[in-house]
Amino acid sequence: MKEIKSFVKNNTKESLLFVVCVLGFILMSVLSPKAFLGAANLSSIMSQMPEFGIMALAMMIVVLTGGINLSLTYVASLSGISMAIVMSKLNENGEPAAQCILLAVLAGILIAVVCGLINGFLVAYIHVAPILATLGTQILFEGVGQNITRGSAISGFPEVFSKIGEIKIIGIPIPMMIFIGLAIITYFVYEKSPWGVRLHMLGSNIKAVEYSGINTKKMIIQVYIISGVVCWFASFVMMARYNSMKVDYGSSYMLQSILAVVMGGTSIAGGYGKVGGTILAVLTLQIISSGLNIFGLNRFFTDIIMGLLLILVLSLNYFYSQFSNKRLIEKEKN
Amino acid sequence: MNKKVLSTMLTVCMGATILGGVCAAAEGEQKTVAIIPKIIGNPYFNAAEVGAKRAGEENGFEVIYSGPTDADATQQYNMVEDFIAQGVDAISIAPNDAAGLTPALKKAKEAGIAVMDWDSAAEKDVVDYSLSQVDLEELGVVIFKELFESIGKEEGTYAILTGGLEAENLNVWIEAGMKWAEENYPGMKLVTDKIPTNEKQQEAYSKTLDLMKAYPDLDGIVAGSTPAPVGAGQAIQELGLQDQVSIVGTGMPKDCKEYLMDGSVDVAVLWDIYREGYTAAYLAWMDANGEEIVDGTEIPGYGPIRVLEDGKSIIMGEPLLITAENVDEFDY
Repeated sequence: MKEIKSFVKNNTKESLLFVVCVLGFILMSVLSPKAFLGAANLSSIMSQMPEFGIMALAMMIVVLTGGINLSLTYVASLSGISMAIVMSKLNENGEPAAQCILLAVLAGILIAVVCGLINGFLVAYIHVAPILATLGTQILFEGVGQNITRGSAISGFPEVFSKIGEIKIIGIPIPMMIFIGLAIITYFVYEKSPWGVRLHMLGSNIKAVEYSGINTKKMIIQVYIISGVVCWFASFVMMARYNSMKVDYGSSYMLQSILAVVMGGTSIAGGYGKVGGTILAVLTLQIISSGLNIFGLNRFFTDIIMGLLLILVLSLNYFYSQFSNKRLIEKEKN
Repeated sequence: MNKKVLSTMLTVCMGATILGGVCAAAEGEQKTVAIIPKIIGNPYFNAAEVGAKRAGEENGFEVIYSGPTDADATQQYNMVEDFIAQGVDAISIAPNDAAGLTPALKKAKEAGIAVMDWDSAAEKDVVDYSLSQVDLEELGVVIFKELFESIGKEEGTYAILTGGLEAENLNVWIEAGMKWAEENYPGMKLVTDKIPTNEKQQEAYSKTLDLMKAYPDLDGIVAGSTPAPVGAGQAIQELGLQDQVSIVGTGMPKDCKEYLMDGSVDVAVLWDIYREGYTAAYLAWMDANGEEIVDGTEIPGYGPIRVLEDGKSIIMGEPLLITAENVDEFDY
């Protein structure tokens, strides 16, 4: 019990979120017991969560530096479109599937890195505020994507590729494994590595970090490139799921990923954030979204509920921090 | 967390599971039909909802009418998955993008659910039946014909506004209309590729303003998807160009009334939307019951539907012309 108590004490935001998540799960189960607790629902949650979760992780790294990445979803769709074009063209010419996919993956990662470079350069060297820089690049990437595809979807991928979305290893579909893998990697990189520590410091006080001799410009560029590459994973998962790629696939994930990141306890000013929190938030939002869909609630209400949930979690965090500060002060007094 | 809290939580969980069992046992034999429109909160699809719900009430089956808040295929995809989890008997969907939804619809078929499309076509081999409200090629010809007759010239320029670029139904009738236009009005030139407005009136409005800035001598606009003629009409009314520019499109009577009256929109071409919703729900229910739908099948209260040679494509009825004279006859 002592260990749990101290864990909760050190991770109050995340523990509160865990309680909210469990309550949400219970509520949805009570509302539509047969459907929500059924295998089909579990399967659909496991297939809807990865792309959203990966986007949230991509957003998180930028928010940790005190910035924001509004171009997230269009980096994903642009790198996805380049993947789709390469894959479908090579497939048309009868190249073997493995080659199509490999070259497409390289093309996609390349574009994601370029997009990240542009973002990072604007923020680090031209000193544009992240929100403005990524707003601009969002429109830029969307425009390029629209121009290339003229708004239509690209399909025609090798058969093997569409199977990727369906194959299960020990019962877990590949997209979910990618998400879990990324979650573990980002956990170690963001929280347990020296670079991760510097990342948190950067978000806390960038001037102090500069004066300690760390090349902040380089770090910022690295951050945006990593964000871009994580987005690429999301587009890969989306392509496998929808078996096609279009400029606006996933465009609704931008605001949702900000919601998940903030709900997960990451400070929007930067400097604090736990991967576990973000993942819990993604899980909570997914449970609520699926649960309400099954219950048959109008989607507009689902949006309202997500908003209210965000306010609830933020308020709980605020009140708890006020409460614990008070206790601290009283303790000092005695 | 102490023992008290832990045990309370576990009791609640137990209670929930028991409750679940009771609810499951209490379910009836009524079939459930899920109808997914392109978007909700739009007068067209709201009218279809009325028709669909009525079909359920009159014939004894449950209708769940639920759609995305944006004309977004990915949201629809998630909804199909959630309906499969819910265990509905039939899914009838108006896809925003046929290719993107195919994997989800395949899963629905594998789960034993009857799958149909309405308003706009999905990929042929994943649906049991495909409902079009009117013969789309006929619709395209009627709309383009009305536009050119309204413009009244042999030579001129026109533009096309559409809804979502991937929407099959819009693309089919626009293609058919353009082909007919090339053969019958070769002097009429299309100024630019068709412009998407994503089923949003505000976008149609701003895109029309942009259009008039780029092509100030434009003679006419074909406006596809129901919010488009309203938005375009609003723009033309604001610019005061009713006499110069003709607009013909698939508009809802009530929304277009103001613009039909002052000539911003010349003709709206539509069909009975309540009937469309009713037919979509009714046919999905028939499919869920395993009944075959053939040419001449009667829809209660409306009349027979046509089934084309492929056995899958169903046509509901004929296009209706709505003008300033008859606009008051409709209540949607």
